[in-house]
Amino acid sequence: MNVEITDLTRRFGRVRAVAGVSLQAGPGVLGLLGPNGAGKTTLLRTLATVISPSSGRIRLLGRDPGAHRQRREIRRRLGYVPQNLGYYPGFTVVEFVEYFALLKEMPPATVSRAVASTVERVGLGDKATAKLRTLSGGMLRRVAIAQGIVNEPELLLLDEPTAGLDPELRVEFRALLRELGQRATVVVSTHLVEDVGSACARVALMDRGRVVFHGTPAELSARAEGTNAAGDAPLERGYSAVLAESRS
Amino acid sequence: MTSGRADATGPVPPDVDLGRVWIAVAEQVWRRRPGPPERLAARILGSPGLARALVTTPSLLLGWVMATAVVLAVGTLVTRGTGTPYVALGAPAIAAVGIAYAYGPGIDAAWELMGSMAVSHRLVLLVRALTVFGLNALLGLAASAASGAAAAMTFGWLIPMTALCALALAVSTLTRSANAGAAAGLAGWVLTLLSGRAATGQVAAAVTDTALTLPYLTVAAGCAAIVGYATRTSRGPS
Repeated sequence: MNVEITDLTRRFGRVRAVAGVSLQAGPGVLGLLGPNGAGKTTLLRTLATVISPSSGRIRLLGRDPGAHRQRREIRRRLGYVPQNLGYYPGFTVVEFVEYFALLKEMPPATVSRAVASTVERVGLGDKATAKLRTLSGGMLRRVAIAQGIVNEPELLLLDEPTAGLDPELRVEFRALLRELGQRATVVVSTHLVEDVGSACARVALMDRGRVVFHGTPAELSARAEGTNAAGDAPLERGYSAVLAESRS
Repeated sequence: MTSGRADATGPVPPDVDLGRVWIAVAEQVWRRRPGPPERLAARILGSPGLARALVTTPSLLLGWVMATAVVLAVGTLVTRGTGTPYVALGAPAIAAVGIAYAYGPGIDAAWELMGSMAVSHRLVLLVRALTVFGLNALLGLAASAASGAAAAMTFGWLIPMTALCALALAVSTLTRSANAGAAAGLAGWVLTLLSGRAATGQVAAAVTDTALTLPYLTVAAGCAAIVGYATRTSRGPS
């Protein structure tokens, strides 16, 4: 298992953003669903080793992120696309992606090829030498994704990656997700149920800091059977049914 | 999500992978050639990533360094004209502002992402802060020497500068705001100058009074400890 979480808790003052989450994930795409404030972003930040857990146990890629050397190894093999990634407006697309490739300690000799390949992969070849300040919001999201996958990560964490992408690009992005999930463990936080339905092999639904469902999209849809849960699609109805059940 | 450049050509032999060819071409066309300072930094630091992080430091950019040099040059001229040691009094404040703008969430747009990188926050902060400090010290020493100040005045401001830089760095790190760090550094220095003047009647007492060395070093050590704590690598249970 590339991700092993046991009874993970993360507090911010008195608020328990993540409250006793246990989760395992191997290669494939895991969708992290949940309403705003459910704890998805905090969980992803913890997995990205940006913040440490208040309690509980995590192992990532078979390593302990609490130990310095092992955390560094994890980070070399990690891709992380935060919800609000800041950009350096004076950097070009290539410079930005290369910067993070270097900070991930990719072998210097491989960086140029990896950057060129990744920039093409996310469809920004025509904008490779454009300054980031000249790009649209959707293009910037693709730059963010490019830096996340430039090192061919074994663990890729994406926080609301399709926000700001138009429908056509969302479809292309889901295809990219499926492709990445064949080799790596991809954890995608999203509130867009359709992203999960088409790209994720498994789904974890969070509410109020806890995982209230973990299974396949089909199993989530099935949870709506026999209920009058709201939603336009089976997955949405399953989502609503599980949330209603966890809150009752 | 491909831009389709590889397909935008005429007929090609079947055994040629145009996609790979294009990537090889793009790699050469888009490759960034690091400048001499970045190559030197990479050699010294042993890390191209750290070197890149260093040369992107806001307060090490050419415009900033030139502005610092101009201010110190003006200070040199005024010092020579008036006898008041403006270089010694100004250099610590200039360095403190530079340190506050060296690194942090208020300066680095991609701070959150930087926290997940193999090259750690703390290492980037250390390298950037030391380089900014060193460069400002060199410029200040050159300006001091050019201003014809006495030896005590030439070197006397280095210890106050250390304390002030540590204060600015600690405040900018804790408040996650470079502006707050710079303001704290400037305010701290103005208060120190005014206190020295009130106690001795000389505005230069802050850089000439050796009795202040220990307090300066104490402040520097305390602030360095705060920075170390605030940027500690969060271990947590695992």
